[in-house]
Amino acid sequence: MRYGASVALGGVFGYLPFQAASAAEDAGGSPFGIPAGVEGHKSYVKVFFDTYCIKCHGPDKSKGKLTLHTLGGDLSSGQGLERWEDILDVLEFGEMPPEDEKQPKGVEVQAIVQWIDSGLRDYVEKANKEAQVPSARRLTNFEYQNTMRDLLGFELDLKTALPEDPKKPYHFNNTSEFMLLGPEQVDRYLENARRAMASAIVDAGKPEVHRQKWTFEPRGPAFAGEQPDEVGVYPGGRRTISAGVTLNKWPETGEYRIKIKAAAILPPGYDEVPLRIVMGSALKSDAGTGDYAPVGTVYLKNDVDNLQEFEFRGRIENHPVQVGQVTKRGVGPTTMQIYPQNLFDNGQLNDHRANHFDRSWNFDVPRAVVRSIEFEGPVTDTWPPEHHTRILFDSPLRESDPKAYVRAVLERFMTRAFRRPVNPDELARFERLYQMLEPGFGTLEATIRETLSMVLISPQFLYHTNAGNGVTTSGYELASRLSYFLWGTMPDEELLTLAAKGKLQDPIMVAAQTRRLLADARSRDFVDNFTTQWLSIEKMKAVNINRNLFPRFLFTVPNGERAGQEVLFRPTIRDYMHDETVGFVAELIKRNASVSNFVHSDFAYLNEPLAAHYGVEGVKGLRLRPVAIKPEDRLGGLMTQGSVLVANGTGSAPHPIYRAVWLREAILGDEVKPPPAEVPALSDSAGDSADTAVTIKDLLAQHRQQESCNDCHVRLDPWGIPFEEYNAIGQFQTKIPRPGASVPKYNAKAEKTFEAYQERLKKINTVQVEARARVPNGPEVDGMADLKKYLLKDRVEDVAENIIRRLLSYGIGRLLTYRDRFVVGELLKKAKDEDFALQDIIVSICISDTFLKSPQTTEKQ
Amino acid sequence: MSKKSWHLSRREVLRGGGITLALPFLNSMSLAAGITGAGRPKRMVVSYIAYGVYDPSTKDGKAHEWSWYPRHDSGPLTFKNSTAPFQSLEKYITYFRGLDHAGGYGLGGHSSGDVFATGADMSGPEKTNNISIDQLAAKTNGHKTRYGSLVMGTEGGTGSYGMSKTLSHYGPGRPIPSLHRPQDIFNRFFNPYGNRSVKDVRSDLKREASVLDLMMENYKSLHGKLDAEDRQKMDEYLESVRSLEQRVERTSEWTHKPLPKVDAKVLNLDVSYTEPTEYIGCMYDLLFLALQTDSTRFATFMTESEHSTGNMVGNFANQVLGYTGATHDIAHKRPDDFSGQWEVWRAERHSKFLKRLRDTPEGDGNMLDNTVVLWGSAHPHGSHGTKDYPIQIAGGNKLGLKHGFLHNYEGDRKKPLANLFLTMLNAVDVPVDRFADSTGELTDILA
Repeated sequence: MRYGASVALGGVFGYLPFQAASAAEDAGGSPFGIPAGVEGHKSYVKVFFDTYCIKCHGPDKSKGKLTLHTLGGDLSSGQGLERWEDILDVLEFGEMPPEDEKQPKGVEVQAIVQWIDSGLRDYVEKANKEAQVPSARRLTNFEYQNTMRDLLGFELDLKTALPEDPKKPYHFNNTSEFMLLGPEQVDRYLENARRAMASAIVDAGKPEVHRQKWTFEPRGPAFAGEQPDEVGVYPGGRRTISAGVTLNKWPETGEYRIKIKAAAILPPGYDEVPLRIVMGSALKSDAGTGDYAPVGTVYLKNDVDNLQEFEFRGRIENHPVQVGQVTKRGVGPTTMQIYPQNLFDNGQLNDHRANHFDRSWNFDVPRAVVRSIEFEGPVTDTWPPEHHTRILFDSPLRESDPKAYVRAVLERFMTRAFRRPVNPDELARFERLYQMLEPGFGTLEATIRETLSMVLISPQFLYHTNAGNGVTTSGYELASRLSYFLWGTMPDEELLTLAAKGKLQDPIMVAAQTRRLLADARSRDFVDNFTTQWLSIEKMKAVNINRNLFPRFLFTVPNGERAGQEVLFRPTIRDYMHDETVGFVAELIKRNASVSNFVHSDFAYLNEPLAAHYGVEGVKGLRLRPVAIKPEDRLGGLMTQGSVLVANGTGSAPHPIYRAVWLREAILGDEVKPPPAEVPALSDSAGDSADTAVTIKDLLAQHRQQESCNDCHVRLDPWGIPFEEYNAIGQFQTKIPRPGASVPKYNAKAEKTFEAYQERLKKINTVQVEARARVPNGPEVDGMADLKKYLLKDRVEDVAENIIRRLLSYGIGRLLTYRDRFVVGELLKKAKDEDFALQDIIVSICISDTFLKSPQTTEKQ
Repeated sequence: MSKKSWHLSRREVLRGGGITLALPFLNSMSLAAGITGAGRPKRMVVSYIAYGVYDPSTKDGKAHEWSWYPRHDSGPLTFKNSTAPFQSLEKYITYFRGLDHAGGYGLGGHSSGDVFATGADMSGPEKTNNISIDQLAAKTNGHKTRYGSLVMGTEGGTGSYGMSKTLSHYGPGRPIPSLHRPQDIFNRFFNPYGNRSVKDVRSDLKREASVLDLMMENYKSLHGKLDAEDRQKMDEYLESVRSLEQRVERTSEWTHKPLPKVDAKVLNLDVSYTEPTEYIGCMYDLLFLALQTDSTRFATFMTESEHSTGNMVGNFANQVLGYTGATHDIAHKRPDDFSGQWEVWRAERHSKFLKRLRDTPEGDGNMLDNTVVLWGSAHPHGSHGTKDYPIQIAGGNKLGLKHGFLHNYEGDRKKPLANLFLTMLNAVDVPVDRFADSTGELTDILA
C-alpha cells in the first residue's frame, strides 16, 4: 500500500462504512461497503469530493483542467473513465489533495479507491467481451527497412526516401493512433519497391566487373612527417592515403568487395587502432559538405612487418556519388571517394588544438597503415547472385510451363512478403497482374520486377495484417507480433514453421521463443528503437553546446572556415552517448537484471572517450562494455547518462524543468501536461547561458509567485533540482557559475591543456551547486545519490510499472487505456515476484492475454 | 552520422567550375501572362512562422521599433526596423491583430500551429484536424493546373498531433506530408517524366491505371474480411490508392500539354539546413517557379515548425544570427538584440518572395496582383499563447483586395481568422459561405 493509511476513525463520514473499515483493512482489504454504482457515488464518493476536492476542481476552479462536480457516478455507462482512472492514480499515490490542504484519512481514500477500482474493473470486463480496440497499423519506417532487408537478403537504404514517422516524446512511433498513410507515402513505397527490385533481380548474362586498385608505399615522408600510407587521427595532406582515393567506375547495382592491406603503428601502452573505411562523395571538412556511407571497421593489432588483408562487402547503391565538376569543357565524370579513417579517440582529441595546431600529436597515438585498397564490383562469385535465385529459382518449369513457373515464383515471394500463406484469390490476382504487365515489359525478369513491386505496395505487405479464408491461424499473427516486437522485422523460418504447425498456441513455446529472439543479435534493433523513443534521447544530438563553457566536449576543427565547430564525418562523443544508453539497456536485458538498475546500477556501459568524459580510469578502446564503477564516479543507472543529461539541458546549463519532466515521464511513468495556453512566459528560465542565468532558487520563486505556474510546478520542479549536480554535458559538478557571471571567451591557444582547462573552470565555476529539494510527497533529498536512494527505497514498483506499460504499448502497437489497467496490474504483481527481472518481464508480456490475443486486423473467417 | 542524402554539392559544382551562372529562371514573364478577366490565374499561398513574433509593448501604446507589426492600433502602415523589408510593398500588404482560431485554444503550448490553415475545432475529444484552405481551393480549382497544390515545409512529413510539420490537410485525420528537400520538389514539379518520352509516359500511365484497378480489387477482398474498427483504419490506404488513380488520370490528360522548362542549374537544390538563408530562399524560389509556370495555384509553406528543438531547424537562429540558444528560446526570453534581428531575417525571406511576385508582369498587372499570400504564426508575442495570431496578408489586388492598413480586432472587436479565410477563398473563386468557425467575410480588406 503506497499511501499511509490511517486506521483511526473519523473523517467526513467516519460514522459509516469506515467503522468496519479498519478491521477489514487488517483482514487484507476487502470491500469497505461503499455500495457499488450510482448509489455509492451519491452517498459517499461525491461527499468525499465535496469535502476535499471541489474547492479546486469544481464550479469555481478547474485546476489541471479537472472538474469533479460534473463527473457522472455511473461507471458502467463507459463515460469519463479516463478521468476516473486519473483520479484513481492520484488518490492511490497520495498526490492529491495537496499537502497543504485538508487531508482525508487513509481509510477514506482507500474506500474511494476501492469503489473506483471495482467500477472500472466491472466495466472493462464487460467491454472486453464486446468491441475490440482497433490496432491495425502500417509498418513503421524502421520495420519497413528491416523487413525489406530480410525479404531481399541484403540491405538497401530505403528508409531515408520515406516521409518521417510521426514522433511524440516518450511515445512510440508504431502506435496505431499516430500512424497515417497518404498518397505521397504510397508513392514513395512504390519508388522504393522498384528500386529494390532493380537491385534484387539481375538481367540474364554475366555483368561487366569493375576493378580498381590503389597502392601506397612508405617511400618517405609525404606530409608533416607522415608516410604516404599512414592514417593519423588528424587527416593528413593530399599526398597521403588518408586524403582518399577516387573510384571512377562501378556497377549501378550489386554487391561490391573492398580489400585492404593494413597494419597498425602502436606507441607503447596501446594495443589496437580502429580503422574505418567509408565511401561516398568528396568529404570537405572546411566547407562542411560531403556525404558517405560506412564500408566497415577493423581493429588493427598487427604491425607493419605483418601486413594483413581485410575484406569488406556492401551494396553499391547505398553510397552517395560525387557529381562531376562543371568546367569550361563541360561536366566532369561522376566519381566516388574511398577514405580510410583512424577513429582513435581517447576523449582528449582537443588537447592538441591551437591556432597553429600541432600535428605531431599524430605520432604519439596509434596510427593505421593502409598499403593498398582494392575495389571490385559487382561480386560475381556466384552468378546470378543468391538474392536473385531466391526469387527466380532454378526450375525445369521455367521452360516447360512458364505460367506455372510464374505462379510458383509469386507464391513463394508473396508468402514471405505477407508473412503467412498466400490465399488462392490473392495469388490469382497477381498472376493476372503479371500477364497484364508482360507485353509492356518484355522479359520475365522485368515483368517479375514490376509485379513484385506491386506486391510490396499491397496492404498485406505494408500493414500488420493476416489474411483469413481459413488458410491462416492466429499462430502467424503471433509469429509476426513477436518478431516485430523483439526484432523489428519479419518472422524467421523457425517462427513461421512453428506457426504453420500450430505450436505457438502453447505459452511455454512462446516463452522459449521470446528468449530465443532476445538472445539473437537482431534484438539489438529492438532495444535501440525502443530505448531511443522511450527515453526521448534523440534530441540530444541537436542541442547547441556552448563552446566557451565546454571547449573540450566536442572534437572541434582547429582552424579554417569551420574553426571551433565539430569535426565532421566521424563518430562523435554524442554517438557514443547514444550507444551507451542503448548498450546499457541491452545489457540489463541480457543479464535479466532488475529494473531498479534503471535508477542505479553497479556498472556503467562505456568506451574510452566516454570514460574520459566522465572521469573513469582504466577503460581503453572504442568498443563499449560494462565497466564496474565506484560511488565516487557518480555514475550508474540511466539518470546520470550523458544522453539524458545533454538532451535535457540547454547546452550551457542543466535545465531542471526538462530533467524533472524527463524523470517523471520516462522513469516514473507520469504524464506531465505541457504548460497550458495563455500562461505568460517567464521573463527568463534557468540556465540559458551562463551570463544571463538565473539561479534555480529564483526560478522556483518566480514559479511560486504565479498561481497558474505554481499549481503544476510545485509538483514538478523539485524533481529536477538534484540533477543540478550534473552539468549540460553530463558531467558531475560541485560548482557552478555565479549568477550573472560572464564567461570569458575560450582561448584555444592558452587554455588547450587539461591543466589550463581546469584552471579556467575554477575561475568560472565559483558557487557551490544547490541540489537539495523536497521531493513531492517524499522526503528531502540532497543531490542525485540521495534521490536515487529514495527512488530505490520507495519507487521501484512505479519504475517497474512504467517499463511494463512502455514495453506492452510498444509490443502491441497502441496506446494503453484504462482497459489495460488490470492486465498491467497482474504483470506488475508477477514482476514483483520475480524481483523485477527485465527479461522475465518481457517474457511475461509476450505470454499475457493482451499480447497473445491482441487484435491486429484479425480477419473474419 | 551520415548526412541526409540530399545534401549533395551542386553548389560546390558551380563554385568549383569558377563560372558565374546568372541565367534568368525563365523569361521574366509568367506563363499565364496575358490572361485577364475570367481566365485570370487566381492563386493562394499560406506561409507559417513558428513561436510567435516579437511585439514588445511601449509606453505610448505605439508599436515598438523592433516589433513584427508596423503599428499598434488600426491605421495606415508605417515601417520601422523589423518591418523595413516590406516597405516597398506597402500597397500590397495588410496586417491584422486579434484574429485567431477558437478551435485551437485548447491545444496549448506550441500546438496550435496544427490548425493554422484549417481552423478545425481541436478542443473536444475528437483529435482529428480538418481540411485546410489550400486543399479546399485545390478541390474546387486544382484541376486547372498540372498539380492541385504544392505542400512544403522545412522538416518534411506530417508530424503528429500537436506537433504538425505540415499546414495542409485533405480532411479529418489526413495531413499531407510536406516536402522539404529542394531536389524532390524540383523533380516532382519540373522533371516528372525523368528521361522518358511523352509517348512512353502515356502508355505507362495507361498500364498503371489497369494495375491500380487490380490493386484496388486486392485491397477490397482483404478489406471485406476485416473487423469494423480496423476497416476504418485501413480506409486511408484505399483513399491513397484512389488518389493515385486520380493522379494517373490527371497526369495522362496533362501529357498533352508541354512541360515548363526550368533550369535546375540556377537553383541551389542541394543547399542544407546549415545555411538557412540559402535554404529558405531556395524553397521560396521553387514555390515562385511553381506559380510562375502555372504548375499549381495553391501552396502552403511551413517555414518553421513548432517543436523543432529536437532538430536542426530549431537552430536556424543560431546558424543565422549566432544566437546561443535554440530559436524557441528567443520566443521565451525575448532578448532585446536577437528578437528584432530574427524578425528582420524572417521578414527578408518572405518579402523577397512577395517582391518577386510583384516584379513579374502578368496580364494587366503582376503576379502578386493575382496571388493572395497569408503569412503568420499561431502564437502571439508569448510563445505559449494560442490567441491573437500575428497575421499579414499580401497581394490579390486584382482579386478584390485592398491593402495598406493594419486592422486591430483585439478585445471586444475580436473576429475569427476563418472570416479572413472566407474572404481569401472567395477571392480565388472558391465560393463558400462558411469555413470552420467563420461568421462572415472580412469586409475591411475588400476593395
